[in-house]
Amino acid sequence: MDNLTNLNISELHEGYKQKKFSAKEVIKNYLENIKEKDGVISAFLGVYEDLALKQAKEADELISAGKELKSLSGIPIAIKDNILVEGLPATASSKILKDYISAYDAGVVTKLKENGAVFIGRTNMDEFAMGSSTENSAVRLTRNPHDIERVPGGSSGGSAASVASNMTLGALGSDTGGSIRQPASFCGVVGLKPTYGAVSRSGLIAMASSLDQIGPFARNSEDAGEIFLAIQGKDELDNTSSNINYSKEDFFGNNLKSTKQLTIGLPDEYFADGTEKEVSLGIKTAIEKLKSLGINFKKVSLPHSKYALSTYYIIMPAEVSSNLARFDGIRYATKEHEILGKEKSSLLDVYLKERGRGFGVETKRRIILGTFVLSSGYYDAYYHKAQQVKALISQDFNNAFKEVDVILGPVTPTRAFKIGEKSSDPLSMYLSDIFTIPANMAGLPAISIPVKKYEIDGELPIGFHLVGKKFREADLINIGRYYEKI
Amino acid sequence: MASIINKKTLQHISELARIDLQEKEMDKLLGDLQKILDYFKELQELDTSKVKEELSLRTDLKLFRNDTERENTNQSKGKSSFPEVENNHLVIPPVFE
Repeated sequence: MDNLTNLNISELHEGYKQKKFSAKEVIKNYLENIKEKDGVISAFLGVYEDLALKQAKEADELISAGKELKSLSGIPIAIKDNILVEGLPATASSKILKDYISAYDAGVVTKLKENGAVFIGRTNMDEFAMGSSTENSAVRLTRNPHDIERVPGGSSGGSAASVASNMTLGALGSDTGGSIRQPASFCGVVGLKPTYGAVSRSGLIAMASSLDQIGPFARNSEDAGEIFLAIQGKDELDNTSSNINYSKEDFFGNNLKSTKQLTIGLPDEYFADGTEKEVSLGIKTAIEKLKSLGINFKKVSLPHSKYALSTYYIIMPAEVSSNLARFDGIRYATKEHEILGKEKSSLLDVYLKERGRGFGVETKRRIILGTFVLSSGYYDAYYHKAQQVKALISQDFNNAFKEVDVILGPVTPTRAFKIGEKSSDPLSMYLSDIFTIPANMAGLPAISIPVKKYEIDGELPIGFHLVGKKFREADLINIGRYYEKI
Repeated sequence: MASIINKKTLQHISELARIDLQEKEMDKLLGDLQKILDYFKELQELDTSKVKEELSLRTDLKLFRNDTERENTNQSKGKSSFPEVENNHLVIPPVFE
């Protein structure tokens, strides 16, 4: 029974229904892949064999009882370690949360459970989702399955690497400035950042609440769309979540005709110098292929894109500094504090010491940068100005979307870089997100799709980036689906 | 734009942020922050005097929910992730020395 891990969701469900194989066998195959590969890749922080097999059994019981499968019955999904699953640890790859056990399920986890998904494990990430390489994890280093000397991208590097190496069919990540799309591009998988508000953020360990969004990783656009449909929707516990009534037909109906009617915009600003030659060539290839489908292209302009990075590195750290104030070394912690308590330290001492040693370098850098830009005397020059520029960036997209339906460009300026290459220079690491940040600024859905199918141990993957209109994830998924069929 | 950060400001900010920094960390961080804040200077080019700031991406939201009783999280589980509990109260170190 090999190759079960190469099948997509609809093929697996077909196989379950026809009793060609069971969900238990499929999950066992995936667990074997983890045993075989994760020693080197280190995508997972925890693998839950018993839980996964129990959930697989539920899918098999539906089949034997002659009942309908749920949309993700018997489908393994890995969960980024900043998303809470009741009873399991959630560390956000930080020392300060090393003993924390989730007290409740995140909104997306509740929805995955309702849809029958199998939780296969928790994946590594940059500490508190801050980074573009997963090197900021306090737990371990994750390697890119296409070249183990290179980073998988970040911050959802573990999720991307686990999907790329067939250790799971799908995974959840979170994206604040590119943390789903950049690792998806580096690892050669599909990564979707939904519209801000499409997916509940309840139970996501918050980084920058006005930009964070949870989304899926998968090996193809159709599976990514299926997982997205399972997790989207209104959640009372996240007031920014929306009830959109996405229709499955819109995503998977036979609509090449309507897909062909979409116009794709190419912004001059995304095709400037400074992008690696291989990336530019890859994007060109993708554009040619899409043209061959009959999709029209048009030039557009997003004149304020160049300011997105500065704007992001003001707004995001500002939110980080307040969101991470809750990690005071007492709440969510256990053992460390007990020792301090016995020393009769004052509360302020505990805060200073625990936060000083519990947070990693990048986390401290961002908390301090955020505290600085919000501090008295600097607020207007930085935070207020950034919020104004953010409005201009959104306006650019609004103008462009009067003429086109989707915007295409590169996901990142380079392919996966070497481990250690950028870790000592924060600014060069930040530049890795230059093309992905604007979509977060404007709250738009965006996806990274591999330019072609990349085999492990072959060349380094390249992704192309599509940004859509608000709540039009279906446009992105449909372009991806037809592109992948060429 | 305002002046670039110096060591004294950094010390003050790190206290506000409740983060104890080692001397060596402080030097590296100061250099990094100066470079980052220098990069932000590009925003000065833009005249935003007439731009209204965008504080939320969802201006269409109903901000208040109905004031009804509901149970969300399990209190005892919340307590279990706290290091010390006495008579149903959470124990913390003294606030005053």
